[in-house]
Amino acid sequence: MILSFVPRNGSAPLLRWKRALSSIQSGSIYTSQFKSYLKLDNGEIGSFFHDAPLNLDRSNRTATMICEIPRWSSGKFEISTQLLGNPIVQDSKKGKLRFIDNIYPHKGYPHNYGAFPQTWEDPTEASEITPGLKLKGDNDPLDVIDIGNRLCEIGEIKQVKILGSLALIDDGELDWKIIAIDVRDERADQLLDIGDVESKMPRLLEDLRVWFKNYKLPTGKPVNEFAFDGAYKDAAFTMNVIEECAKKWKSLVNGEVKGDKLPSISNATVAGSPGLLQNFEDVQLEPVGSEGAIPKQTEIIYYY
Amino acid sequence: MSYTTRQVGAANTLDFKVYIEKDGKPISPFHDIPLYADESKQILNMIVEVPRWTNAKLEISKELNLNPIIQDTKKGKLRFVRNCFPHHGYIHNYGAFPQTWEDPNVAHPETRANGDNDPLDVCEIGEQVAYPGQVKQVKVLGVMALLDEGETDWKVIVIDVNDPLASKLHDIEDVEKHLPGLLRATNEWFRIYKIPDGKPENQFAFSGECKNKKYAEEVIEECATAWNKLIAGDVDPKGIDLTNTTLTSTPAFATTVDVPAASPLPAAPIDKSIDKWFFISGSA
Repeated sequence: MILSFVPRNGSAPLLRWKRALSSIQSGSIYTSQFKSYLKLDNGEIGSFFHDAPLNLDRSNRTATMICEIPRWSSGKFEISTQLLGNPIVQDSKKGKLRFIDNIYPHKGYPHNYGAFPQTWEDPTEASEITPGLKLKGDNDPLDVIDIGNRLCEIGEIKQVKILGSLALIDDGELDWKIIAIDVRDERADQLLDIGDVESKMPRLLEDLRVWFKNYKLPTGKPVNEFAFDGAYKDAAFTMNVIEECAKKWKSLVNGEVKGDKLPSISNATVAGSPGLLQNFEDVQLEPVGSEGAIPKQTEIIYYY
Repeated sequence: MSYTTRQVGAANTLDFKVYIEKDGKPISPFHDIPLYADESKQILNMIVEVPRWTNAKLEISKELNLNPIIQDTKKGKLRFVRNCFPHHGYIHNYGAFPQTWEDPNVAHPETRANGDNDPLDVCEIGEQVAYPGQVKQVKVLGVMALLDEGETDWKVIVIDVNDPLASKLHDIEDVEKHLPGLLRATNEWFRIYKIPDGKPENQFAFSGECKNKKYAEEVIEECATAWNKLIAGDVDPKGIDLTNTTLTSTPAFATTVDVPAASPLPAAPIDKSIDKWFFISGSA
C-alpha cells in the first residue's frame, strides 16, 4: 500500500490509503480462454465483484467503476458472476463468442460500459426502490455507463461521478443503468446532475435510451422496456439505488441470501465473509497470445 | 481488373502514401482508373480514401506524381475529422470517382457555386468497412449538393454492387425505405462536421434535399466532361498533376513514372484527444 495525500475539493488534504489495484490478463482476447482478473495491491488475484472497493462517496457522489467494454467496440465482455474469482470474460452463446450488433448510427457500444463492484441486483426479492413494480434484480453487479471522452480499457478501474440512472426491464428483471462520468473528464466539473447532461451533451440521453430499447432487435428479441416510462432518474435518487444494491451485496457476500444460481462469493479480502479464501490458488493463468479474429458480421449496421 | 495498393510509410504520419497499381504497375487513381467499370450495367469505379468509422482525413493528392492517397495537413499538422455526437469519424466509406473533376472555373446553373477543384466525392453506404486505396464497383443512388465555404461540393450516394442490399436499392427513395435515418444523418453530419474546428455550419443547396439517381448521373456526366477537358490540356490545370500511365493520347502520358518502393509500416498511434466527442447543440 502507498500512503498518499489526496486533496479534496481544493480544501485541506485528506489522509487516505491509496490502493494500487490493477488487472491481470489470462488467455488471448477474442478467444474463449480470455479472462481479466483483478490484481490486488499485494500482487495476488482478487475478485472484481467482491474485492474491488466501491468507495461510494455520498457528498461528492463518486464511486469506483470496473470497465468491461470500451466505447465503439463490439465484444460483449462482462464480470462473470459464476466463475471462481469473478474475472471479466467475453460472453458466449452456444459456444460462440458474443459480439453486439451495430444499431445505426452507433458503432458497437455507444459509451464505455462497466459495473460497480460490491453491488448486486438481488434476484430473490423485489427492489424497495421501485415498490409498485414488484421487480426483482438481474443477479449482476450494477451496470455503469461512463460518458467521458476517454476510451476505457477492459479491466480498468476508475473513479466516476454519478449523474443519474435509467431503469431497464430486461426479461422482467430490473437492470439499472447508472449514468456516470470519469472524474478526470474535461466535462466532469460542469456536470452535477442528470439535467446537466441534457444541457451540456444534447441528445446523449435520448439517444442512449433508444439504443437500450433497440439493441437486442438484431438477435430476434423484442424491444426492451423501462420502468418510470423511460424517464431518467436524478443523481440523488440514483445514490439510493446504489446504496440498496451495496446493501444487497453485503448480504450476499456474508452468505445471508439463499437461492439458486447465486454468484460465486469467493473473495480474498472481505472479512467475515464465508467466501473468504486464503488466496485464489486454484486460478491458473493462461499465456497471452495473438488476438482472436473479430468476425466480419460486426461491420453490419442495423437500421430501425 | 486487378487493382492493388502500394503503401509507403506508416498510417497517421506525414510519410504515409498509398499508391494504386494495376497489374503491379503504378497508376494514377485520379486519371488512370476508368470511371465506368461497366457502362452498360451502370456500374462505376470508386476509389476509397477514408474507411467508415475512422478519423484520418485521407485524400487523393492532386499535386503529387500519380496522385497517391495521403493524409491532409494543415500548418504542417495531420488533419483528423472530429467526432460529432453520435457519430464516430466518417459515417460512410468515403472516396471519389476517378476521371471526374469539379471545375472551379464553372458555376453550376442551379447551385450557382463554382466547383471545388477536386474529383467528385462519393459516400458508399454498404455494410463492409473499406480500406484506403480500395477500388470498389458501385451503383449510383442519388446526390447531395453541399456548399462548402462557397464552393459546390457534390456528395454522390452509392452502394457497393456486392453488398447484400444492392439489389434492393435502385434510387434514392429506396435508401430511406431500407436504411431509415441514413440520409438525414448524412445531411446533418456534413453540415456540422467542421464546427469543432471553429468553422461555421455548412449549407446545402436544394434545402438539403437529396437528389435522385437521374440527377446524380447528370452531375457525374458534367464532372466527367470537365475532367476530359482537364486531362486533354484544354483548361488551366489549377496545380493538378496530370501524369498518367495509360492515356496514351494525353499530353501528360508517361510510360514509366518513378514512385517510391513499397515500405509498409504498422500504423502510428493516434493521439487520444481524437477520441473526443463533440456535442453540437441544435444539430437535430
